[in-house]
Amino acid sequence: MGIAESIFKTRLTRRRFLQATAATGAAGAVGSGALRTLQPAHAQAQPATGETKITKSICHQCPARCGIDVYTTDGRVHAIYGSSEHPISNGKLCPKGPLGAYILYDPDRFKGPMKRTNPKKGRNEDPKFVPISWDEALNTVADRLNALREKGESHRFALAFGRGWGASCAGLLGTFGALYGSPNVPIGHSSMCSDGSILSKQCTDGNASYSAYDYHNTNYLLIFGASFLEAFRPYNNNMQVWGYIRGEKSPKTRVTAVDVHMNTTLAASDRALLIKPGTDGALALAIAHVILTEGLWERSFVGDFKDGVNRFKAGQTVDPATFDEKWVKGLVEWWNVELKDRTPAWAAGVTTLFERDIVATAREFGTTRPAIALFERGAHAHSNGIFNGMAIHTLNALVGSLYAKGGLMYQMGPAYGPLPVKDADFMDDYAKNGPWKKQPRIDLKGSEDGYLLAKNMLQELGPNSLAGKPYKLDTILFYLTNPTWTAPNGQVWEQAMAELFVIDTSPFPGESAMFADLILPDHTYLERLQDAPTYPFQGWPLAQLRVPAVKPLYDTKYFGDTLIEIGKRIKGPTGEYYKALGNTENVIRALAKGFEANPGDNGVKDFESWKEKGVWYRKPYLWQQRDGAFYEWDGKGYGKAMTPEEVKAKLLKTPSGKFEIRSGYLEQHADWIAAKTGRDKAKLMFPQWEEPKHPGGGDLYMSTPKVALHAEGRGANLPVAISLLQPVMGGRDTVYIEIHPETARKRGIADGDRVRVKSAVGSIEGYCRYFEGTRPDTIVFPMEHGHWAMGRWAKNRPPGHCGEVTVNQSDRVTGQCSYYTTKVSVEKA
Amino acid sequence: MAKWGMVIDLDKCTGCQACTTACAMENSRLPGENWQDVLFYSEGRFPNVSIKWFPRPCMHCEHPSCVSACPTRATYKEAEGGFVLIDWNKCIGCKACMVACPYGVRFYTDERPVVAPDIRGVFPGKDGRSWSPPYRGPQDDPSHGVGIQPNGVVSKCTFCYHKVSKAPKGVADLDEHDPATKEFTPACVRMCPPKARYFGDLDNPASTVNKLIADKRGTRLLDHTGNKPQVYYLSGGAAAAVPSSRETNKA
Repeated sequence: MGIAESIFKTRLTRRRFLQATAATGAAGAVGSGALRTLQPAHAQAQPATGETKITKSICHQCPARCGIDVYTTDGRVHAIYGSSEHPISNGKLCPKGPLGAYILYDPDRFKGPMKRTNPKKGRNEDPKFVPISWDEALNTVADRLNALREKGESHRFALAFGRGWGASCAGLLGTFGALYGSPNVPIGHSSMCSDGSILSKQCTDGNASYSAYDYHNTNYLLIFGASFLEAFRPYNNNMQVWGYIRGEKSPKTRVTAVDVHMNTTLAASDRALLIKPGTDGALALAIAHVILTEGLWERSFVGDFKDGVNRFKAGQTVDPATFDEKWVKGLVEWWNVELKDRTPAWAAGVTTLFERDIVATAREFGTTRPAIALFERGAHAHSNGIFNGMAIHTLNALVGSLYAKGGLMYQMGPAYGPLPVKDADFMDDYAKNGPWKKQPRIDLKGSEDGYLLAKNMLQELGPNSLAGKPYKLDTILFYLTNPTWTAPNGQVWEQAMAELFVIDTSPFPGESAMFADLILPDHTYLERLQDAPTYPFQGWPLAQLRVPAVKPLYDTKYFGDTLIEIGKRIKGPTGEYYKALGNTENVIRALAKGFEANPGDNGVKDFESWKEKGVWYRKPYLWQQRDGAFYEWDGKGYGKAMTPEEVKAKLLKTPSGKFEIRSGYLEQHADWIAAKTGRDKAKLMFPQWEEPKHPGGGDLYMSTPKVALHAEGRGANLPVAISLLQPVMGGRDTVYIEIHPETARKRGIADGDRVRVKSAVGSIEGYCRYFEGTRPDTIVFPMEHGHWAMGRWAKNRPPGHCGEVTVNQSDRVTGQCSYYTTKVSVEKA
Repeated sequence: MAKWGMVIDLDKCTGCQACTTACAMENSRLPGENWQDVLFYSEGRFPNVSIKWFPRPCMHCEHPSCVSACPTRATYKEAEGGFVLIDWNKCIGCKACMVACPYGVRFYTDERPVVAPDIRGVFPGKDGRSWSPPYRGPQDDPSHGVGIQPNGVVSKCTFCYHKVSKAPKGVADLDEHDPATKEFTPACVRMCPPKARYFGDLDNPASTVNKLIADKRGTRLLDHTGNKPQVYYLSGGAAAAVPSSRETNKA
């Protein structure tokens, strides 16, 4: 300070400096408007603003549903922080949370209902949308639907949805399908999300659900894929947990993380295992092998040899009669048909990992209680996904983590009240017995010709309709999904959508909207009143409410109300049902009635208090497994012992009421599975190693993970998100295709070169960055860019979209879309 | 008088960049104008590779070289609190401070936009400010470098001066979990999901920040410059780390 004072006694002022530079013409301008003369008065503080209002709402940028405090001053949203009183956010948010205001004020938003005037459809066709009234828009939809129903072709109307939230949006869809009469209302996106995980749990412990986790009390985390510190839900809470288990908890929780490239999760863990894509199941099998041969399994849960002598020796079969199984079914059979040969040395050959690392991981996991093995898309997004998922989940059974403190469980639903109107009272003969009843779903979910055991097959909708197998759709409506872009090989969807009457309800100009005949734009999330029960979290029930922080900026309508308004215009009792239902606020008020008898821990007991606090929740979780016995909450503790029948009804919902390593669910469908997959009927019900099938024709695996700033499609047009998006390499506006230096050099590719990625279905381009953290047989880039629509910042941003080179291949059992299994070739562009 | 300091526990930092987006939101930053940045590095050879990351706000140095370099005394050390701030009414945009700062945490307003098209063209400035988005924060205090700056000046992290300077007098720490201090806690600290950040009075022996610096061996970045940052890092060898000269591959 002293120096400045002595040298610049004259106190050169800003104004004087500007005069001087103007005189000499030495402005040295960089970019726009540098050193423009500024009237000093302009830089004075602005007059004090109005009062700041805080609205309790919930975020919308991933499934987690974090409570948010939305700060509004003079009617403008300018800040979003985590709600301190919300059990998921606890005052915190992930990096996406603060982006909400940018979504609200996105200048490329749709501002009201519109219809298409250009009949030609294609990437390069301007839809030439013109504004219309809501009445015209809704009547147009209803006229089409009524006409289809009159022709007996109501099944040719499909409604596809992605991120559904609660009973006042996605929850209304099934009723619409049943009353109107279409098996294709709704088709969810779960097969393009993580159904492989859900089916793996269903096949083994009988719960068709994602797991809830007690991370706070676990001492070991074994993570396969999932991107725990980038994208795994609830990301915000995962990081809160991470800070605690890694920075404060005693003892510190140890972590081994498995993925195909180095990411922040692996970097922050104790051990990073860079595994060959599609081989996670082999690693899990070898870990199970070590747990058995070294006698590390949890005897109170699994059971033991009758005489206590461990007979699990590599390569040797065991007499099942010598073992008493407790809460598992088929352990010894599994050992005999599969596991006895799955040694760490064998797995090292399959996974390319070092045998010593596999053994060390197995010993740690097998000796540290409680421990959690978790996996999500990646591990099971391959043709062998069901086996990979089952093998990993079985590790949880071997160490006794199911329903244990520090283990994993399943999420309870909220105490919602019933809807005010009963749909059963409004079923006409068409709804009950119309010709639509005989039609399969367009995606062949639940069909022997398609995916008998899948929950949804949205990725098949476009190709099936295009091929007319089982039939061609007529009209499709999208809610919070954009499969024209997100589906694997979406190019086929573009052809399919060109044939159909398309209705999009997104507020954003995405690719599906570019094929739309009608735009019925939803509010953005800060403008909505919308319920949302929690995604699997810590087990006890939790239901959030999204509360509008501002009045809608434009002429938009909450999707739930759009649906109800369409419903009112359907002829016959369907219309009467929706007239009786009224609007979504009625629905939400009815849901909240359920809280009267079950007030939340935070005092929420009705609609008004729910709206004020933004969340209802009620602890504790009701069940616990302790030392191989199951207990129910008795009001004070987990003291009420459960019978095996109760365990089967509430917790281990398998045919046997046990954790089924020999899956009864798969066994029931063994004929179909064997016919469609060529698997051995005698063995296909056990977790096992099967070589994955990699389509695409290339020589490099391609992995396209979600990264921290991926806001489920909404982030693609946000300059702040774009500026920071950073898988590992990049940031500052650039997303790279990560390639191992040797792999790149062999192909004549220099660091930073523009490269072309090709597969059997397409090719895209982007910039390469050498990265030693990516496997030499794999390229990695995030699923985010490469939009050809979606707004001025999103459009044509490299690298191209991974979907355009991803072959549409799914796990035949789970229906999981295998996003990370295509093999591609890479060359200098 | 308080001397505000920040502690960043690198054992807990997950490299998520919530600090960066929280700062951008609270302080109406341009895309990529990261007053609070997280820098990524990698080293090693496959399969023995590590990634490291380093969260970096302004260090609000006790002996700030930027202040010494400023020809107009636009950048200054605020006696109360120890904030290093810029008076935009005095800044002439000469960038001498940017050269003088060893930490690279200062930004000149009129650079080319990080992300094209330039969002300043979408939300053009009013009242002499460089831009004016609808989501701008209500705070506006050009003499402390708070709010949206005019063209032609340098800007930087203020330690959320507009919040911290209003904190109740005499508190030891500004903790986001304490209802009495939540609203006065800097945005990056308040948002940080793994709670890797702490903010408190370095002159108060009862503060948590002082305890953490002592117990967990707080270090300051580039201490040899003599700038004496008021930001301390705790590192037990986690992936988030103060970058060493070993790192070869800058992300």
